[in-house]
Amino acid sequence: MWKKAERYCLYKKHHDMNSKSYYQDIFKVTEQQLETLAATALSHGGDFCDLYFEHTTFFNLLLKDGVVSSGGFHTDFGVGIRVLKGEKTGYAYAENTEMGDMLKAAKAASAIASGTGTEMAYARVADRRHDLYPMQSNWRDMGADSFLPFLKEVEKEVLSRDKRIIKVIARMSDSVSDVMMYNSLGELTFDTRPLGSVTVSAVFEQNGKTENRSASRSFRMGAELIGPGLARELADEVVRGIDDRFKARRPKGGSMSVVMGAGASGILLHEAMGHAFEADFNRKGQSVFSDKMGMQVCPKGVNVVDDGTIAFNRGSGNYDDEGVPAQKTYMVEDGILTSYLHDRISASRYGVESTGNGRRENFRYNPIPRMRATYMESGDADPESIIADVREGIYVDEFSNGQVKIGEGDFTFFVKNGYLIENGRLTMPVKDVNIIGNGPQALADIVAVGNDLKIDNGTWTCGKEQSVPVSCGMPTVMISSLTVGGE
Amino acid sequence: MITEHEINTARHCITYAMENGADAMRVSLSKSVMDGYTFLNGELDKVTHSADRSIYMYIFADGRYGTFSTNRLDRHELEDFISKAITMVKMLGEDACRRLPSPERTEKSAVTGRELDLYDISYTSGDPDKRLEKARSLSIFKQTVENGTYRLISEECEYSESVDDSYLADSQGFEGRHTETTYYCFSEMTILTPDNCRYSGYWWEAAPKENQLHLQGCARKALQKAVRSIGPKKRRSGSYKMVVENSVASRLIAPVISALNASSIQQKVSFLEDSLAKKIFSEGMTLMDMARTPGMTGSRLYDTEGVATKDAPIIENGVVKQYFVNTYMSEKMGIEPTVEDISRPCLMPYLKGEDLTSSEKTVSLEDILRRCSSGILVTGFNGGNCNPSTGDFSFGIEGFAFSKGKITHPVREMLITGNIVTLWNNLLAAGTDLRPSARWQVPSIAFDNVSFSA
Repeated sequence: MWKKAERYCLYKKHHDMNSKSYYQDIFKVTEQQLETLAATALSHGGDFCDLYFEHTTFFNLLLKDGVVSSGGFHTDFGVGIRVLKGEKTGYAYAENTEMGDMLKAAKAASAIASGTGTEMAYARVADRRHDLYPMQSNWRDMGADSFLPFLKEVEKEVLSRDKRIIKVIARMSDSVSDVMMYNSLGELTFDTRPLGSVTVSAVFEQNGKTENRSASRSFRMGAELIGPGLARELADEVVRGIDDRFKARRPKGGSMSVVMGAGASGILLHEAMGHAFEADFNRKGQSVFSDKMGMQVCPKGVNVVDDGTIAFNRGSGNYDDEGVPAQKTYMVEDGILTSYLHDRISASRYGVESTGNGRRENFRYNPIPRMRATYMESGDADPESIIADVREGIYVDEFSNGQVKIGEGDFTFFVKNGYLIENGRLTMPVKDVNIIGNGPQALADIVAVGNDLKIDNGTWTCGKEQSVPVSCGMPTVMISSLTVGGE
Repeated sequence: MITEHEINTARHCITYAMENGADAMRVSLSKSVMDGYTFLNGELDKVTHSADRSIYMYIFADGRYGTFSTNRLDRHELEDFISKAITMVKMLGEDACRRLPSPERTEKSAVTGRELDLYDISYTSGDPDKRLEKARSLSIFKQTVENGTYRLISEECEYSESVDDSYLADSQGFEGRHTETTYYCFSEMTILTPDNCRYSGYWWEAAPKENQLHLQGCARKALQKAVRSIGPKKRRSGSYKMVVENSVASRLIAPVISALNASSIQQKVSFLEDSLAKKIFSEGMTLMDMARTPGMTGSRLYDTEGVATKDAPIIENGVVKQYFVNTYMSEKMGIEPTVEDISRPCLMPYLKGEDLTSSEKTVSLEDILRRCSSGILVTGFNGGNCNPSTGDFSFGIEGFAFSKGKITHPVREMLITGNIVTLWNNLLAAGTDLRPSARWQVPSIAFDNVSFSA
């Protein structure tokens, strides 16, 4: 027997993660040094600078062909230094916190302020400390032996549900990030962010044909995420609808009514409007929504939210990556565009407060406006009656990926599963079709909103320049016309 | 650039691991530096300097295997890291198929990292002011004359220079080095038309050597792409000939390459299972891996296991000639190992009904359009996916309708749907207009009978 594996990290057990000293200890930096770095970063005349210290540990295990035969851990450590002059950005980073290397990075970033440029005022933000993801059980205290039985349990649960399954892959991963942020306004914030994810996929074989399905869960929470209940939930989901998947065909393509099922359909909001509402695209005049603030963009009664305050949600953060406290932002209220998603730069530009959307993949990247959990609030329609009102159309409820062209507003999302709607009833299963539409038009074409909002807790990741975890949600919604790929 | 001290640190990792319970080990040390400049509407918007260094370890112990990485390269920290890593590996399930590649298969000549001529020796003398001026020279924002057709409302131009240096070694004595520089420029333009519609276009160029980068014209091409897309018209759903421009054609070869990976085949998520040595695709489809061409982006002498690459046919006249089989999959599936993945895919020219094998004939996009007469020219993909088990795909597209070999009008919000094997069996033409800047050498291509929805 091997002793329980410790993970490699700089974290010290029993330290209070709510204390400043915990973070200063990890990053080995004093407040005086922070002030020196900020002064150096602004030495060429920058308006604002911030320092983003990060120590992240990753851990993963993979079960394949019945054995947990690979896994590992990874450590990432460094500090990113950003200088803003007006709307201009200078960015550099160091992969250690030796003062000499940090000063070098601060000087490199300061170069943006050389020469002329418009000045811009950056204001302090009110600190509202959240505690959205307290860990009952810290991932960093857990060795591989804590999770091996869980992955075997997942496999057993999946295999027990369908004899057609010929392959199961189960993987779990976690990361814990210690983050400390300091800026030239003197704001010092810190946060420890856990993220645990489990994904299972199965390959089914029937009459010589194969189909694969997958399910995932991801939360900002501790290792209490892992347990038999989760194994059963994932197993149930991965086999759900497999009979229909074997029967599914491509529909006849063309324009038709599309009913988006509750939950993962939130990808529509993410692609059709969320990106176009990110203020960097609007600041640059690139977005199709650049000149639509205060205008009616959806039918009355529709509310669309981007929310960083949902407890344990994959897209949440006690602070964003500019040290701005988590917020819930209404992008659309009663059908009217009320707010873009702002980081500090665009907030200054538009003369509003940051909405807490300044996010980054890690210390190597400067923050930019990004979504968190994007969803539409429930309406008052009964979901079944929404389907019953469609004479000819398509119902979709499982997706893989999406994309948008910001300028034109053209978006797509790929449907893994769905059904034809014929005379108000779900009929033939369909699969593997792409749906395409235009953002402003699709929003205007919303004709019914169900009363069944559901947040999807899968492993959604947004890849705009950098990868960040997000989530999405939707009630059942009907759009009168989108283009569906088909034979 | 990786220093001798850092190489010795990587070697020490192997020695330390072998002395502390590992049976075998591979170490990959990577270092990169990038300087980037972005201009927004002709004004400097962002300056970035990045310098990365990390070490990745593949540890084999007691018939078990794990992967680990860190960017903290202090020797004592690394020893602690490795000790904990070995302890973790020994807790995982046994897998007798995990091993290093046999030494005979590994590359022997990657000593300096510069054997493939992908490193520009002038890189180290790069002057920040010169780089800034190059970035500035990309912009055409202030020269662009507004006309009644459109107004340029946003221009983003980016220029960067970077070097990537990597060292790979294993406990059987393999050592390899690969070093390359990249010079890159990018422009994206957004225009507004009098009817308040926005159109955007982008273009990029890249080269391993500074004097090979076509800096000028990048922004102009991006603008042309935006302007060309003004006034899209709806097109009726139906079956059309499809021509795909060389800048985006690799999207249609990617699912084929992915399906040839032994890992996908072993997991039963490949539509090319049992296809080796069989004629699966059109006679005209020949895909080479030109891995060892000096001076060309994507070339490499060894794969991530250190296995020597070779120039070889992957698909020849429609016949599947090779799967991508790493050491693990070779053991697991009981088949001969090859390389882990394709390095530099190269689709050979083809014109249906003509023999091009011994011909020097060039085949341009215009030639292909003329030959196809009418159909849809695809210049961009917008989302979509391909089912890895079945090959069924559905992609959003944008581009132009063409008739009598000439472009007639832009199209948008269209989708193509079908099966990737069927698609490649309907290959009509593959041009000779390869983009030197691209790793994937895929020219403009044409297919018959493609289903479009609109």
